[in-house]
Amino acid sequence: MEKRATFSNLWLAAALVAPQLLLVFVFFYWPSGEALYWAVTLEPPFGGSNQWVGWMNFETVFADPKYWNSVRVSVIFALLTTALSLAIAVLLALFVDRRLAGHQIYKFTYFIPYALAAPAVGLAFRFIFAPDAGFVSAINRVFPNLWNPALDGTDALALIIMAQAWNMAGYNFVFFLAALQSIPRTLVEAGAMDGAGVLRRMRDIQLPLITPTLFFLVIINITDSFVNSFGIVDITTNGGPARATDLMVYKIYSDGFQGKDYSLAAAQSIVLMVLVVSLTFLQFRFIERRVHYS
Amino acid sequence: MTRVSFLATAAAVALSAGTAGAAERIKFEYWYGLTGDLGEVMAKHCQLFNESQDKYEAVCTGQGGYDKAEQNTIAAYRAKQHPTIVQIYDAGTVNFMLSGAIYPAKKFAEDYGLQVDWDGYFPGIKNYYATAGGEMWSFPYNSSTAVFYWNKDAWSKIGKSEAPKTWAEFGEDLKALKAAGVECGFAFDFDTWQNLEQFSATNNLPIASLDNGYGGLGAELVFNTTAFVDHMKDYKAWLDAGYAKIQTAQVGKNMVQAFADKSCASMITSIANHGTVKNTQAADLNWGVAMLPVIDAAARKNSLVGGASLWVMEGKSKEEYEAAAAFLKYVTASDTGEKFMVSNTGYIPVTTAGFEFLKAEGFYADPKYAGREIAIQSLTASEVGPLSRGIRLGNFTSIRAQLRSELEAAFTGQKEMQVAIDDAVKAGNDILRRYEQTYKGAALP
Amino acid sequence: MIERTPLLNLVTHLVLVSGLVLLLMPLWIVFVAASHDFHTVNQVPMPLWPGDHLAENLAVAWQKGNFDRVMVNSLIVALGVTVGKIVIAALSAFSIVYFNYRLRMLVFWVIFVTLMLPLEVRIVPTYAVAADALRPFQAMFDAVGLSVDLPEWNLLNTYSGLILPLIATATGTFLYRQFFLTVPDELTEAAKMDGAGPVRFFLEVLMPLSKTNMAALATIMFVWSWNQYLWPLLVVTDHQTFATATMQLQKITPGPAFGEPPIWNVAMAANLIVLTPPVLVTILLQRWFVRGLISTDK
Repeated sequence: MEKRATFSNLWLAAALVAPQLLLVFVFFYWPSGEALYWAVTLEPPFGGSNQWVGWMNFETVFADPKYWNSVRVSVIFALLTTALSLAIAVLLALFVDRRLAGHQIYKFTYFIPYALAAPAVGLAFRFIFAPDAGFVSAINRVFPNLWNPALDGTDALALIIMAQAWNMAGYNFVFFLAALQSIPRTLVEAGAMDGAGVLRRMRDIQLPLITPTLFFLVIINITDSFVNSFGIVDITTNGGPARATDLMVYKIYSDGFQGKDYSLAAAQSIVLMVLVVSLTFLQFRFIERRVHYS
Repeated sequence: MTRVSFLATAAAVALSAGTAGAAERIKFEYWYGLTGDLGEVMAKHCQLFNESQDKYEAVCTGQGGYDKAEQNTIAAYRAKQHPTIVQIYDAGTVNFMLSGAIYPAKKFAEDYGLQVDWDGYFPGIKNYYATAGGEMWSFPYNSSTAVFYWNKDAWSKIGKSEAPKTWAEFGEDLKALKAAGVECGFAFDFDTWQNLEQFSATNNLPIASLDNGYGGLGAELVFNTTAFVDHMKDYKAWLDAGYAKIQTAQVGKNMVQAFADKSCASMITSIANHGTVKNTQAADLNWGVAMLPVIDAAARKNSLVGGASLWVMEGKSKEEYEAAAAFLKYVTASDTGEKFMVSNTGYIPVTTAGFEFLKAEGFYADPKYAGREIAIQSLTASEVGPLSRGIRLGNFTSIRAQLRSELEAAFTGQKEMQVAIDDAVKAGNDILRRYEQTYKGAALP
Repeated sequence: MIERTPLLNLVTHLVLVSGLVLLLMPLWIVFVAASHDFHTVNQVPMPLWPGDHLAENLAVAWQKGNFDRVMVNSLIVALGVTVGKIVIAALSAFSIVYFNYRLRMLVFWVIFVTLMLPLEVRIVPTYAVAADALRPFQAMFDAVGLSVDLPEWNLLNTYSGLILPLIATATGTFLYRQFFLTVPDELTEAAKMDGAGPVRFFLEVLMPLSKTNMAALATIMFVWSWNQYLWPLLVVTDHQTFATATMQLQKITPGPAFGEPPIWNVAMAANLIVLTPPVLVTILLQRWFVRGLISTDK
């Protein structure tokens, strides 16, 4: 990723990052640091005197099989949602980019789901996936009890995976399409002249050229599925049934802010953060090498 | 103190015209957890208070839910930006009692000349919000209790015109209902409020040692050794036999919807849903409410209060407290407070005086509200005993969540019922010990 | 391009149409729910075809939510976040990618890590900072023994309090970095040879090239900040003056408390109102990053 022709005015460089660093320090690192301090103490909800307990909170977290369950669920969730939503989005973007008749309609509509606020999504999903009454009730009539996210943990997990993938598909689509559109038309046309068919051009010309975007989206989707999946779970399954959809971030929220055990939540936040940071770091090390820049 | 009356009139006119002509009024903040339609009722109550006088102004802010109201108040308190009064739900009572952040209701009333008849509250309500020594630390506001909702037409199919009195009778009824072709005799969910808490109170069963925690933070959960386990086994048997159904929002409709559209013949839920059922019911649904079935009809104890109470927070100015006192006086009075709440929602009056006042006005004779007095009967069904007084356990919301997910596991066949409830008790006790350690040295008032 | 691929075209159309149905189904349900009366919308199953109460529900929702005022607030906040983020992120990414200093990877990671811990998880201490934004500095001065007394800077019930914490994340910086890395080095060299310094290069070469990415980022940020819910609810207690549109949904949407009749029709009408601006912005901004809007392909 080294750029060859770089500038070397250090004062300017510092001035350019200063605003961002300042904001990040005040509104992220300071508060996070405070939250992390709670992880080694027992913090009463209303503040006041907290006691130093060392690693106790972490020991409590790691000794709890329910915690490991939430790690397992989160990993499955992250991998499947990322794969699913990226696949859908890239497929749609490639096809829209073919610009057949009517493609404008799609450009403007695929992103809309991302604009829906949580309550709307909640109602919609309740309606679509309810086993007795929704769309899928038709399937249940043919195969009784095939689909019941309220009672079957696997179904519930499948439900939140679909919901998250659906939510992110529009977002991913926007970036893929922007990337595809910025590929010089001449490149693709040259490919066509050489006799490469549509699918071949997608595979050999367009996809390699959008790998920086793909890499960006893989990172964003994976981190997002770890850290921003709270809303979907809260609306659809509440972590149930029997903790089948108890994602790490949902568990942190329910233990900490519903349960008022700030210290236990803080310890879990640290673990979550270490996990996501190292995961991202690994991706930078091993995936970014294959990314095709300039 | 006294002002010329035309000023008051002028202020009221100015307010109702929607302008803010109240610069010299003393303002104080009130945060509440009610949302949706109930949030509107709450906002209206504030507005009525502001229009009723010209000295004070309540700045009322909905927080988007009970849990958020508690959570935001705590965050605000830590930043010294908390409101003067806050509405906190039943399960948050212990946190607030131990917080050191509040102005106990009794003391507040004495200090600011608020006349409260502390013995006028229904004993079930008073005891729930009082300290072990019997002193009230918050003002009961919107209150409810659990009742049995039943479809009278369904029961008439099996030749009965009365709701079952005992659980054994209810079990027989369910069997008969099934035989009579009723698809779903009973709708239930995994909410512990009616299934564990109300069941234990009405049958005089302990949930935790030390009188359900009133005796101190060292209490241990014991509900895995009581009739609660058999009660849940009965539920499971009814589910397996097709007598009952699980109805949660995740299934597509919750209990209230399933009852209101006639697909299930009975349910147990808050009296506050009375209005919802009335408003959304199938046109020909012929229904009523009754007290919860119990194990032994002769030994029925009172049911528990649910809902929320108003807490005064510490650290405010004398003027703000005076304003707060005026507000509390207005919203808890029989005519301007209880009547307003009760007639606009499904909640119940909290004082004997309020109940008598409404009865005298013919409120309970109105077909729209008929049946709601059952809730009062249920709350006052017996003397309040040590086990029907309430539950005072640290972090109770988390304990509820533990039991709930263990019940989900049991009802979906992943665990045996006794094992699931044992596991919930174990996890719950861990929570209690952490809580005790966090508040080391503190004692429940 | 003139190619005959009838089978592939058919597949393309089929995929695109089913994508459309799949992605827009929820929006349709919101619309349908907003157009029925109270009883119809609470039927199970709910009808799939719109009713005729749309205007009436919209009017009720508009009045209940005080939308006259809150739409303006939301617009200010969303624009503030969008513009702030686009500018600040571009500057920091420029510094990280184009300047040669040893700490640049560290700086990148320091910014980047902010993606890893969501606001939900650190909301209580963040609120404390918002109540006095200079507190961290005061604490640091105190710690090193400097007796500097900073004033208190309270961000509660201000636009800054709604905007600034939302800008403090890394998405934008990361996106710009990814894009800057794809810009050919030859461009920089050519600019340098023309005697352009970093500022001129940034303004005259890099920014024009980044237009599509900026538009994409702007769209995402506008929608994201418009839909913020938890944070505004906490920072704003003066609802008359500073409430945002999404916050009003909590007033209208039934919560889990007992005894609330589910007035989904009005709630969904409010939803329609709230989602209109982000949808409009999306449509407008997409002109910028999706070429060939008017001309069909040749």
